[in-house]
Amino acid sequence: MLYKLVLPGPIDDLSEVRVLEWHGSTGTRFNPGDLVVELDTHKAVVEMRASSKTVLRRILVAAGEWQQVGEPLAILSDSADEPLPDRAENLAQSSVTYEMV
Amino acid sequence: MSAEPVRMRRVFFREAICRAVRETLDADPNAIVMGQDVGAFGGSYREFSGLFERFGPARVRDTPVAEAAMVGLGIGAAAAGLRPLVSITYMDFVLLALDPLVNYAAKARFKTGGQIRVPLVVKLTAGAKGQGVAHSQSFESWLMSVPGLRVVAPSNVANAYGLMRSALQADGPVVYVDHKRLFPTSGPLDDSAPEVPFGMATVSRPGRHATVIAHSYMVSVALAASGVLAATGIDCEVIDLRSLAPLDLATVCTSVSKTGALLTLEEGQVACGIGAEIACQVQARLGPVRVSRLGAVPAPVSSNSVLEAASLPDAARVAEAVRRLLRTPEIPPPHRG
Repeated sequence: MLYKLVLPGPIDDLSEVRVLEWHGSTGTRFNPGDLVVELDTHKAVVEMRASSKTVLRRILVAAGEWQQVGEPLAILSDSADEPLPDRAENLAQSSVTYEMV
Repeated sequence: MSAEPVRMRRVFFREAICRAVRETLDADPNAIVMGQDVGAFGGSYREFSGLFERFGPARVRDTPVAEAAMVGLGIGAAAAGLRPLVSITYMDFVLLALDPLVNYAAKARFKTGGQIRVPLVVKLTAGAKGQGVAHSQSFESWLMSVPGLRVVAPSNVANAYGLMRSALQADGPVVYVDHKRLFPTSGPLDDSAPEVPFGMATVSRPGRHATVIAHSYMVSVALAASGVLAATGIDCEVIDLRSLAPLDLATVCTSVSKTGALLTLEEGQVACGIGAEIACQVQARLGPVRVSRLGAVPAPVSSNSVLEAASLPDAARVAEAVRRLLRTPEIPPPHRG
């Protein structure tokens, strides 16, 4: 199954985030608890970690770029060979944990 | 990665402040930062993030919760040749440091015939954002009346950077007042962004029918109100003061000469406020004009969000104040022989 990676909102005062660093690239496999991406906010760094085994299939927002909270940052999938759609909007939201640090 | 150098970046408000401080510390080995949590924590709003790692604990120093001592140390360090930035997170707590700030920092140059200069920046965060009676106040106007103090208040990323750069080059004490509600904002900041000189207001929105002057977070409130009013055919000119001491009366008067109507807007109290000062000075220069002041209601700011909102100017109240101002009879320009 394919998923979109989003920072779930709403979060108080936080409408947009900037990608600080991806901890993987297309094809990277993540285990539960692995750090996938760090995001800069106006006050903190947000760490998003995989909640289940997943594969990073396409980065939609590169490091240094901005995205609205709730909008997709990347496409993930359960296995590496599922065909990717053109757009991420209709995909299910991936299950991630996130923490402000 | 692009091979082209990035010229214009979008940054968070805190990053604009941080960049100005970082550039100053890079260029001036005498520049230091002091305050509660400015070190490894990176500042209450992370506005000093990375400075401790870059410059070390001797130049980015955590202090105890002792505002009078922090400012006193800053004054001594400045008089001895350093260039300290002292960060007091909530403006409310500068009250504890008024004696050193007013009686020593502001007066040192006068008392010593110019022999002692105090190039000190005291950074304060003003404004209401859910933190109650003693963490929400805006009393910039109190500090404007102290001879020898300069007071500046950015409204956006670009002038947060530019005013901090200027503050950290000034030869006397500067109070730099930012605002809790500006920290969640972001905006463009050119790689070669200019300093913002003191005493220069800027026209944030040109308009014909009324002048609204504001500073800090209230500039965005004034702009929001102007958007509402524009839909009904009322065209407001919004002036961002940026610098409260010295004041740029020329820019304000040029605008009021054109519009004939002045609304002063501030988050602090109206009595003896920035608006009172500007209204008086504008009319001393231009003669009688339609003028109205808008600020907080005369009550402490509540930690109850409903009461907090009820006590402060918002876009709807600003729009109504402009409408009411424009309903008052126009005052003809005075005859001058």
